[in-house]
Amino acid sequence: MSGRILVVEDDERIRSSMRLALEGEGYEVRDAASGEEGLDLFAEAPTDVALIDLMLPGMDGFECCRALRRSSAVPIIIVTARADTHDVVAGLEAGADDYVTKPFVAKELAARIRALLRRARPAEEEPGALTFGDLQLLPEQGVLRRLNGEEVHCTRTEFRLLCELAASPNKVLSREQLLDRVWGYDYFGDGRLVDVHIRRLRTKVEADPAVPQHILTVRGMGYKLVP
Amino acid sequence: MKLGIGARITALFGLGALLLSILMGGLSYFTTRHFLLAGRETAAQQQAFGNALVVRSSLLSGDTQYVTLLASIDAGTGAHSILYHQSKAYVSSLSANSASIPTKLRQAVLAGSAATETYRTTEGTAEIVVGVPVPSVHAFYFEVFDLSDLDHTLRVLGLTLFGAGVVTTLLGVGLGRFASERSLRPLAAVSRAASSIAGGELDTRLDPPAADPDLEGLTNSFNAMVDQLQERIEREARFNSDVSHELRSPLTTLAAALEVLEADRDKLPPRSQRALQLLSDDLRRFQRMVGDLLEMSRADAGSVAVFLEEVNVSELVQRSVVAGFGHMDGQGGGAPPTVRVDPGVQTWRVGVDKRRFERVMVNLMENASHYGGGVTEIAVGPGDGDRVEVTVDDAGPGIEPQERSKVFERFYRGSASGRRGTGTGTGLGLALVAEHMRVMDGDVRVEASPSGGARFVLSLPVLADGDEPGGEA
Repeated sequence: MSGRILVVEDDERIRSSMRLALEGEGYEVRDAASGEEGLDLFAEAPTDVALIDLMLPGMDGFECCRALRRSSAVPIIIVTARADTHDVVAGLEAGADDYVTKPFVAKELAARIRALLRRARPAEEEPGALTFGDLQLLPEQGVLRRLNGEEVHCTRTEFRLLCELAASPNKVLSREQLLDRVWGYDYFGDGRLVDVHIRRLRTKVEADPAVPQHILTVRGMGYKLVP
Repeated sequence: MKLGIGARITALFGLGALLLSILMGGLSYFTTRHFLLAGRETAAQQQAFGNALVVRSSLLSGDTQYVTLLASIDAGTGAHSILYHQSKAYVSSLSANSASIPTKLRQAVLAGSAATETYRTTEGTAEIVVGVPVPSVHAFYFEVFDLSDLDHTLRVLGLTLFGAGVVTTLLGVGLGRFASERSLRPLAAVSRAASSIAGGELDTRLDPPAADPDLEGLTNSFNAMVDQLQERIEREARFNSDVSHELRSPLTTLAAALEVLEADRDKLPPRSQRALQLLSDDLRRFQRMVGDLLEMSRADAGSVAVFLEEVNVSELVQRSVVAGFGHMDGQGGGAPPTVRVDPGVQTWRVGVDKRRFERVMVNLMENASHYGGGVTEIAVGPGDGDRVEVTVDDAGPGIEPQERSKVFERFYRGSASGRRGTGTGTGLGLALVAEHMRVMDGDVRVEASPSGGARFVLSLPVLADGDEPGGEA
């Protein structure tokens, strides 16, 4: 599988080894030593996946994520030194799609990238068009829009998550099922990925995200979409 | 025993009130007594002199009915008269007795001068005696006045003052208590704040005293101390995070570079392949050790954020065993141990961090294979109260009762395990099991397995039973 990867990492040695490992997996890699340089590189040429270290000098990884998100729906993986901090949630809230923890195994990183690239392409079995509230979801066109025609911008992961929920309306999907179908994780995937993405999605589709009407939490079970 | 400051303030107030009431009470008692007595003495003297005149005129008129005379004098006064005439004593009533007159006073009167004395009789009643010589008829007139009414008055007064003293002292104690509580209240606030800080709430501060300049110093210096403490703790946490970053960066480089080499393994000569194998094995172990050490230092810093998910316990254990078996350090292939699930707990749900729980299972299985001859059985069953228990049994010699709590200490090498161990662990495995279980509201203990080996028991609170818990959240 090929893809164009942007690596933003301040440690030169890690950058080199990541480049070696990812090129070994068949990816085309460009790298940047700072958030600012990363944004410049991103603007220069198309990128399929961005890999951003959270601890960067100057503009930090969170800010870099937010800056990318303002202009693009590109899949972002953040690289963090620790999984059990609020950094992960903060990074996801800043717009990241997934995360890996240092020291990561290159194979694992490649698997994460593969999952994101896979879902960045149209999936095979898509649900039909679905209307809920004043929103219309058109999976085959990759479009979410309001009934007045205004398009709602969401990232590919958010869109994919919404499609999974829409594929079986009113049916509860567990975190594990969603992690498996959207992110390609096994049982030990991090449920926070689902939770934060659901939160992000609610701010876009719910009139009042604090009192959701369509994307509902079923305590201890998971989530369901109610048209 | 040393008294606390509160008790000392109370005692001081009580003592002050006691001394003050003794002083005031004593003063009023003795002043009153003095004035009352002086008044009675003056009255007694006047009466005795008057009566002496009556006696003199009677004697001059030649009346010898002494007793009748004395009785008529006494009538209505409550006093007793004694008359010495021509060396004989006459008394007005049987209760009066010439012997009761103090000798000194009698001698003074017999010598020719009037005298007054207050005394207490052998029966205990107070009396005043006034002696008047009547030289014109060669007689000596004594009159004895009963003071028991005055005595009674003074006794009542004394009792009243004593009672007032007791009440004043108690009020003093009460006031002292109140004052000490009031003045110690800021200290209680400091103590509460300090214990909440010790409990990890570093944002706790003392409220600035609204209108009490006396407490400003204490409050300011306390808050300044906590500010500094918080800064130090945060600096330490930052340091830990920096260290973790610094350690992980080279490990990341090594791991990624090694994987590039491993991808080309087949192109390497056999010697290099073996070297590569050694490198990658030890790198993995090194990663584990750094991970364990960082995990432990984080637990010490209290900077662990735990994300608990509600999951089915039997599925959790089964999946953790299978996945964990693949992550085990130095496992020599084979199939992962099977998990026996009690039918009663099939649908029970628990709140865990799945990846932490997987580490727990990995560490227990590694411990069993390193020191206990391998896992013999893993089981899930009900525990005490609303808890579920996961047991991991091994085929080893078991753990002596006195060592059972120590195996969860860091770097603990038991007498038996030290000999049997292959030395591949970090010495933190079981300590981390205990730490992981603690942050998930669970605990771990070790006991004897029925088959003779050691049995590690994980206990977790059950959140719900069934696949349809709760409703909308």
